[in-house]
Amino acid sequence: MYAWKCWRETRASFIFLLMLSTVPALLVTLGPGIKEQSGWWHFDRSEYTHNPFIMAHLVSNMILTVLWPSSFLSAVFLGVTALGSEFEPGTIEYLWTRPRTRTSLTWIHWSVCVAEMVIVAIVPTYLAAVLLGTLTRYWDLPFLLMAPWLMVIVGLPMLGLTTLMTALRRSGKGGLIFTAAVVTVYVIVRQLVTVPLHLNPPTLFAGPLVWLMNNNQFGATSIAFPWGALWRAVFLAAAFPLAAQYLLKRAEV
Amino acid sequence: MSDAAILTEGLSKSFGAQAAVSELNLRIQPGAVYGFLGRNGAGKTTTMRMLLGLVQPTKGSARVLGLDPTREAELMRILERVAFVSQRKQLYGWATPAELVQMNKAYFPRWSDDAAARLAGRLEIPMKMAFKKLSIGNQSKVALLLALAQGAEVLILDEPTAGLDPVMVDEILRTLIEDHVSQGRTIFVSSHHLGEVEQICDWVGILEEGRLLLESRLEEIRQEFRLVIASGEGLPAATSADVVSATTDGRFRRFVVSREAERFAAELRGQGATILEISPLGLRELFLHLVRKEDPCTPGNVGVKPAPVSSFS
Repeated sequence: MYAWKCWRETRASFIFLLMLSTVPALLVTLGPGIKEQSGWWHFDRSEYTHNPFIMAHLVSNMILTVLWPSSFLSAVFLGVTALGSEFEPGTIEYLWTRPRTRTSLTWIHWSVCVAEMVIVAIVPTYLAAVLLGTLTRYWDLPFLLMAPWLMVIVGLPMLGLTTLMTALRRSGKGGLIFTAAVVTVYVIVRQLVTVPLHLNPPTLFAGPLVWLMNNNQFGATSIAFPWGALWRAVFLAAAFPLAAQYLLKRAEV
Repeated sequence: MSDAAILTEGLSKSFGAQAAVSELNLRIQPGAVYGFLGRNGAGKTTTMRMLLGLVQPTKGSARVLGLDPTREAELMRILERVAFVSQRKQLYGWATPAELVQMNKAYFPRWSDDAAARLAGRLEIPMKMAFKKLSIGNQSKVALLLALAQGAEVLILDEPTAGLDPVMVDEILRTLIEDHVSQGRTIFVSSHHLGEVEQICDWVGILEEGRLLLESRLEEIRQEFRLVIASGEGLPAATSADVVSATTDGRFRRFVVSREAERFAAELRGQGATILEISPLGLRELFLHLVRKEDPCTPGNVGVKPAPVSSFS
């Protein structure tokens, strides 16, 4: 039942995020075919069939450009509803006097959020891919098919970070502010270190997305897959919620 | 393993330098209805939270139904068998009481749909309205419904009737008596409404600054406890173990005596005192005598001793 409660509480954010991802993805997919002639707008499919290979890769690149932030957004929007957010309104007393361990509650919330993140990543990407494939009759779109999964993996550390910050601040709003602060500080420090020293260190965990965006240009696989960033993403995806679990297990109401 | 429903031994909790509960010894037998009294900040809520694993004791131990709430596995078994109504009674604002019932019943194997439906009707709860739109009184009623329909062996109620009108308070008390007291369930209730406590409780414990000042059967308080007012010079602070409280007001000295008031009065007369009054005490008077601080010339209640662990004969 706690899973149902998590779903009910995140439902509005989930639908908002789904719309926010799906509508632009579909618009970007249909965009090249929309033409204006003598003041009338119409859809011209020949744009897709004229050179399907180039069009498929061009449009899929545009889709990824529009969609890549969605996993971060989903992670933060959903993460702020984590267990720690129940301290501020006082519902934590109710929840923690149900016969369920705090650990199980933490991970049930995490699982519901991951399921929603997967849907938010898959639905717009695969809908756009199906539409693009149908219009171009070119179905070799491996990057587009791979994209949602990499987006989710890269989004998980953000979900964990928000879950941890929410537990630390004992508030959804406080968690959101602290997550934003941590990300901002990280970006500033990274810029301060890399720009003056002309360094180009690998990304902490967003490497797979960078790889996806760079390699999708006409299918040229020129850059090696950043396995290090992927493993760091997986490590942080587990470490942050585990830290939140540790905090919550020792928390007093 | 203890046969007490709730047992605490030297239970203490400090928040920094502030002691919230000190060396608390409680022994509440199954089927007892125990009124836990005290002023705001006396440590009642902290004690209840320690029993439910929401707060960890600094010292001492607690057992609920023979189980240790500081161990997670045992705590889960406690929470299956204990219903709790917290002071804040805060539930999910977006959910209707009907949804809260559905959500809650999944946690408890002994949940009773019949009891929930009966209580919803009896307490006149609008079951289809979002919790956040309900009045404070109706929110309290929903919290009570969720606890009472749980089929729990022990009810821990932290000011359960706060915010309710007198009709609803009466309804709640009747429900508690008919559905729970009559079935031999244990109730551990804190309240500032001493009339309610007198109505349903058979035991009371009075807490002050984290210490248990007194623990007694309510019947014993009515029958045995007496207020002895004496006047005279150089009267002792407390002359007997039966003196629960002694306060000074000018030349007058007020003693709350737990038994044999006449013998105690005779002792005072022997020391040259004049006995002005020996009168029975209600719970309210006893409570005020024990916890009141404004009596002049006394730093608190000089004669008060921590209550012994009750014997429940």
